[in-house]
Amino acid sequence: MIGIDIVDLAAAAEASNWQRPGYLAKIFTPAEQAMISHAVNPNHAVWLFWSMKESAYKIHSRKLGIRNFAPTKLGCTLEAFTETMAAGRVTIDNCCYCCKSEINSNYVLTLAAPSAAQLLTIINISYCEPHWLANYHATQPKSVSHHGRYLALAY
Amino acid sequence: MTKTEIIDKLKPIIATYAPASEALNNLNEATDFISDLKINSANLVDIVLDIEEEFGIEIDNASMEKMLTVEASIAIILAKIAQK
Repeated sequence: MIGIDIVDLAAAAEASNWQRPGYLAKIFTPAEQAMISHAVNPNHAVWLFWSMKESAYKIHSRKLGIRNFAPTKLGCTLEAFTETMAAGRVTIDNCCYCCKSEINSNYVLTLAAPSAAQLLTIINISYCEPHWLANYHATQPKSVSHHGRYLALAY
Repeated sequence: MTKTEIIDKLKPIIATYAPASEALNNLNEATDFISDLKINSANLVDIVLDIEEEFGIEIDNASMEKMLTVEASIAIILAKIAQK
């Protein structure tokens, strides 16, 4: 199983004010909050961690057949984080998922898999409105993410 | 506070973050924030923060975990009010 998550940074800025008092503490662990406050680009760090959690949650919730909203139980650690990419892991309960992310001024895109080897096998493609792939379900993606102007598919 | 009074206070909070829909017009205890109302999960946190302000309560993360429906939210609000 694999997971994909895309965050349209313009849509996120419009819909969510992560600087609202109390907001970060409901989503991020103390360690993640510290990394956000020390990041060169805190906005990228917020949406990077969010997309890592979402992509890992997609695998974990399917695997366990559970559904809840416990973002602080998904703990992110980073091995690399630059202006254009990130690599890291998300841990929940006793499960660990490997993640890699693409970052640019328009979006943050994260792919997650149960192992680093599986992560390497994922093929992904993203579409921006109005150039969405019509009837993308027919291509049988293993994971799908929509946000704002973007549609991201993983195979 | 009755369930109906709580739902009346929840309606405007939820409407701030939910796109217009039939499910929003017919909001009831069974309504699911994500599958019925299509609320972005990043905005669930805003709903929880708004509920804390509106009802003067604090919602811990273990309670927030279950707040995916109107019914679960009412149960948590009633429990937190009782603890005050």
